[in-house]
Amino acid sequence: MSIQTENMKEIFGKIDDLKAVFKVGERILPILTSLIDFMGEIIPLLENINTSISDSTNQMPKVSNQINNVTSATELATTEILDLVDEISNELNDIEQAITKILELNQTRDDKFNEIIKHVEGNDKVIELLNEYKTISTYDDTFNIVREVLAKISNDAFKITMSLQVQDITSQQLSAVNHLIESVNTRLTGLVKEIDSSDLKKEFGSMKWEDSESTHFDGNASYIDREHKQQEVDQIISDQKQVASQEEIDKLFS
Amino acid sequence: MELKFLVVDDSVTMRRIVNNSLKTLGYTNVVEASDGKDALSKLAADSSINFVITDWNMPVMSGLELSQAIRGDAKLGNMPILMVTTRGVKEDIVQALQAKVNNYVVKPFTPQVLKEKLDQVLANIS
Repeated sequence: MSIQTENMKEIFGKIDDLKAVFKVGERILPILTSLIDFMGEIIPLLENINTSISDSTNQMPKVSNQINNVTSATELATTEILDLVDEISNELNDIEQAITKILELNQTRDDKFNEIIKHVEGNDKVIELLNEYKTISTYDDTFNIVREVLAKISNDAFKITMSLQVQDITSQQLSAVNHLIESVNTRLTGLVKEIDSSDLKKEFGSMKWEDSESTHFDGNASYIDREHKQQEVDQIISDQKQVASQEEIDKLFS
Repeated sequence: MELKFLVVDDSVTMRRIVNNSLKTLGYTNVVEASDGKDALSKLAADSSINFVITDWNMPVMSGLELSQAIRGDAKLGNMPILMVTTRGVKEDIVQALQAKVNNYVVKPFTPQVLKEKLDQVLANIS
């Protein structure tokens, strides 16, 4: 009697444990269901993200190429500007040399003038006219002003040349951006490949609750109306006892 | 001693600018190279080159590597080297000094700065 009571207690204890498991299972199940539904809903979103990343990744080489084109174009344009500046500088230099030659010739002219003056000494009228002529035909001051202007233009042209260092600096900055784009591209390409190979859509997109024997959980398990459920079980057991061996019954509890 | 410069820069623009700057300073004997390796070839082919002005960031061989190669060469070891680069942080400058460049100019530079640094290098080596 006492042994039977102990056994019964043990059985009731196990039944309580089972009840607890059922309770927990019933609480967890809706969460799991929601999670699976969520995964089903998020798959199209992930697919969209994947498509967007793929599109962006495909665009990156084009962007990188365009940046390289910008660098080449600015370098070409800079070279053309440098050519023009060099040409202007050379022409300014030619003008400067021409003025120097004119000023040298003026000196020769003055020497000749002084010789002429010596030959007409005593003829005041001729001397007066020659001095007037010398005053009119002397452009030294004007040429000196022109030289100053030319020097300023030449200096400004050189400043333009020095300012063009900006092309080298910006091309280096663009190269840095390009390098960054290439790094991002490499990583995104890797990411896209990983997403594709993980076959998320296949894994989760078609996921739904299955009542198949292959699953080791019961999708329909519920703690609600448990008494009615138990009755159904009991009835099945009763029916099985009539037609099946104990071994088969034991399997039902295993 | 007549100076013959080797201007090393991968940027055509910068080579021309350095070249033009040297001309305004009265130095007309200039050879150009587009990277460190090209520079070493030019140095090997032309023993009259006696001053190197080099950029840092270049493909194939950087200016820093070029400096190290020059310093490691028995014939070229004492070649004056002026680094002209956009890299201006302290660590870079220290690194360039460790590579034994003679002086350092940060881009964008002015002809005055270039002249000042050239004069300093020339004063130190003479």
